[in-house]
Amino acid sequence: MDKLLYDVVVLGGGLAGLMSAHEVASAGYNVAVVSKVFPTRSHSSSAEGGIAAYVHGNSDPNDNPDYMTYDTVKGGDYLVDQDAAELLSQKSGEIVQFMERWGTLFNRQPDGRVALRYFGGQTYPRTRFVGDKTGMALLHTLYERVSGLSVDFYNEWFAVDLVLDEKRVAGVLALEMRTMEPSLFVAKSVVVATGGMGMLYAHTTNAYINTGDGYGMALRAGAALKDPEFVQFHPTGLYPSDILISEAARGEGAVLKNNKGERFMARYAPKKLDLAPRDIVSRSMTIEIREGRGFPGGYLALDLTHLGESYIKERLALAYEAALSFAGVDATQEPIPVRPAQHYYMGGIDVDITGRNPDLQGLFAAGEAACVSVHGANRLGSNSLLETLVFGRETGRAVVEYLKKHEGHSSTSLEREAEGLLDEAYRFVKSESGVHFGEILNKLRQVMWDDVGIFRNEDLLKTALSEVEKLRSQVKNMYVSDKSKTYNTEFFNALELRNMMDLAVVIAKSALNRTESRGAHFRTDYPERDDKAWLKHTISYLKGNQVEIGYKPVTFTRWQPEARVY
Amino acid sequence: MQQSMKPSEKLEQVEIKVKVRRFNQERGQYWQEYKLVVDRFTQMTEVLRRIKSEQDPTLAYRASCHMAVCGSCAMKLNNEPRLACKTLALDLVRKYNTNEIVVEPMDFFKVEKDLIVDMEDFYSRMYKVKPRLYPAKEVVENKAEQRLTPEDQKELWKFAQCIWCGLCVSSCPAVRIDKEFLGPAAHAKGYRFLADPRDTLYEERLKVLIDSSWRCTYCYQCFNVCPRDVEPVTTIKKTRAHTKFLKQKSEVAETGEKHVKAIFESIRNTGKLEEAKVYLTTYGLVTSIRDMLYTMRNGKTQLALIKEKKVNEIGQIQKLMGEKE
Repeated sequence: MDKLLYDVVVLGGGLAGLMSAHEVASAGYNVAVVSKVFPTRSHSSSAEGGIAAYVHGNSDPNDNPDYMTYDTVKGGDYLVDQDAAELLSQKSGEIVQFMERWGTLFNRQPDGRVALRYFGGQTYPRTRFVGDKTGMALLHTLYERVSGLSVDFYNEWFAVDLVLDEKRVAGVLALEMRTMEPSLFVAKSVVVATGGMGMLYAHTTNAYINTGDGYGMALRAGAALKDPEFVQFHPTGLYPSDILISEAARGEGAVLKNNKGERFMARYAPKKLDLAPRDIVSRSMTIEIREGRGFPGGYLALDLTHLGESYIKERLALAYEAALSFAGVDATQEPIPVRPAQHYYMGGIDVDITGRNPDLQGLFAAGEAACVSVHGANRLGSNSLLETLVFGRETGRAVVEYLKKHEGHSSTSLEREAEGLLDEAYRFVKSESGVHFGEILNKLRQVMWDDVGIFRNEDLLKTALSEVEKLRSQVKNMYVSDKSKTYNTEFFNALELRNMMDLAVVIAKSALNRTESRGAHFRTDYPERDDKAWLKHTISYLKGNQVEIGYKPVTFTRWQPEARVY
Repeated sequence: MQQSMKPSEKLEQVEIKVKVRRFNQERGQYWQEYKLVVDRFTQMTEVLRRIKSEQDPTLAYRASCHMAVCGSCAMKLNNEPRLACKTLALDLVRKYNTNEIVVEPMDFFKVEKDLIVDMEDFYSRMYKVKPRLYPAKEVVENKAEQRLTPEDQKELWKFAQCIWCGLCVSSCPAVRIDKEFLGPAAHAKGYRFLADPRDTLYEERLKVLIDSSWRCTYCYQCFNVCPRDVEPVTTIKKTRAHTKFLKQKSEVAETGEKHVKAIFESIRNTGKLEEAKVYLTTYGLVTSIRDMLYTMRNGKTQLALIKEKKVNEIGQIQKLMGEKE
């Protein structure tokens, strides 16, 4: 097995990974970015609506970073670590200006300054955007910038597992997808920036590549996930393909209506209406559909016809294009058919405000793969692009500090451990019979959608848990029929499914454990938020077949819990 | 509303046959067919995903965002270079009036396995144009603010939307015969920075782009296949207009400039394209005589000797071209 030596290996070539790599490389350390796709194919490219920021001199005159923190804390139903939210708000202006300097073509005001729009849960408009392809614009800018630095990119390499040296992360085992050749990346530190896990759900706005690989790797290496029960559903997935219709549509004035033509959000969030946070709108929509006020087939209407053709085509180009291409609806003439779909994962690898994981020395995480926790129980729109960049940078800086204190590479021989992990992965190829990944995958996605979805209760979650455990045991009997040595994507799909299963069991167990409703985690059997018992983070480990759950306090600075009314 | 949003229960289900051109090193090239039922919402990426997870896990292809912003799923569908995600199965059925859909890897690039091609050539073209903004030092040091008018933003954003899918290069005839031609995507990317008022690398970019820009044959294939409507050919045209700012021009650029001028003169003076005269002005007497001998040997001399007469409404043409009456 080839051995490659680096100071840092970054897993994932999306915004968080690239930003971390940028910081580490700028400080003069050797960094490798390992990504299973070419970096601009990362899911960051799909982010649409914008990036929230307070920029001095170019924000609403009444706005300030404190309002931003407050909105984030309240939106996250008080499970947000407030020091993290403060940092996010305070650094927001700087990071947006950083991207602007390097060429991101933000939409402009007539005087040449960056333009702003409203997003759900914001007291003042503070979302900066590039039409509704903000993620793509930012990702290309950052990739173009980082590809000009001395960073080694390993594109279309599949990271299999973290390699440990006692309680320290000492490297990564990865395979080049083109040749199937394994390599051991020996590193002083590893940053996991592998993004989210939408493919666990039958309906998701996520890319096909979002299979939660980082969570699976971290769990198997012995690191905990924080708040794994919190899965966000976006209110406006295009019916029926679940392609995201950005919240920007509602930010620009689009209105949700039921089959009676009612603006039903007036009943659920009389003040914020359609711009209430995502969990509230998603649940409201699900109730409307369940109570028979949806359209046949199960969807609602997102009306933006009153905005006018030219405005729609300029500011909501992607929404217009998606509705036309994938639902046959001309959004300038008629409403877009929408329903909620899985969208974002608030839970993630447990890290502190610097991106450092407390379980394993040398392990860092950033972006959706991490839980800082800045989104708490429910993320506000425009905060995830911001998080990837702010905490990608914070993490990169923390890694640099870590490297200053940890000079040498691990002294123990890591090859044996890496060989063991490789054999474990290769079992799927060596088996000659069993089940294919597809048979298990489709069942998993349906169970997660039906029973660990927008509305949860004890019965559903117990069913889900036993079902997921059964499916997970079947993964051991999985086999790969393709034996070829070039782009054996069936083999990689099998490895992805292994990661998805390790994550699914942790989500189901943690959701069953939290007997309250908070943010995106809504229990019909415990419909109230219970601050006395549950104002704490879930910390879940996976030990073999057992999910071990502990807790951590939420960090408070200035904002005490209050009722979440919009 | 009720009318246009049809209930899913009543969705028309159609069985399609998908014929895939496959390749792997062990078996070489072969064709394989799959059958599956789709409805009017089924994207071709979904067709592939379902084949892989329900019928044949060995099929290899790339796909990621399924909303036409990541550029992974570029391939040929019924011989058209397209993004699979941006193509609905039933649209192809309707357009070609057959339930059979032929799926092949992109042209030009080396096939690695099934629908996966080697993109290295594409990427190396992109890196040649230094695809990143080089802002002024004061801006990088945060001592100066850079502003951009909404008009500039709009213009640049159109050309910045390239998603590196490779479709334009795969279908460009010029890149196949001319090693010096950078190809459409790299030109779009290069122009996006050349035209950015915030960039400081103007001279260097011109040097990279100008000669290549005159090697495009204006076939508009990149314009036709681009899934993001970037119009690479438009950026090439706009880049050519910068030739006059370049101090030292390559032979190709100089000839190109002369050619454009000759065409302009010919139309202003006669209202017609005087092929022979344009040729003479573009390439000069020596080259023209050499080429004339070549055409004589091939029996095509008569084409060069056609006498052109002025069109009757020459005044109107000159007016359109901005001349005074």
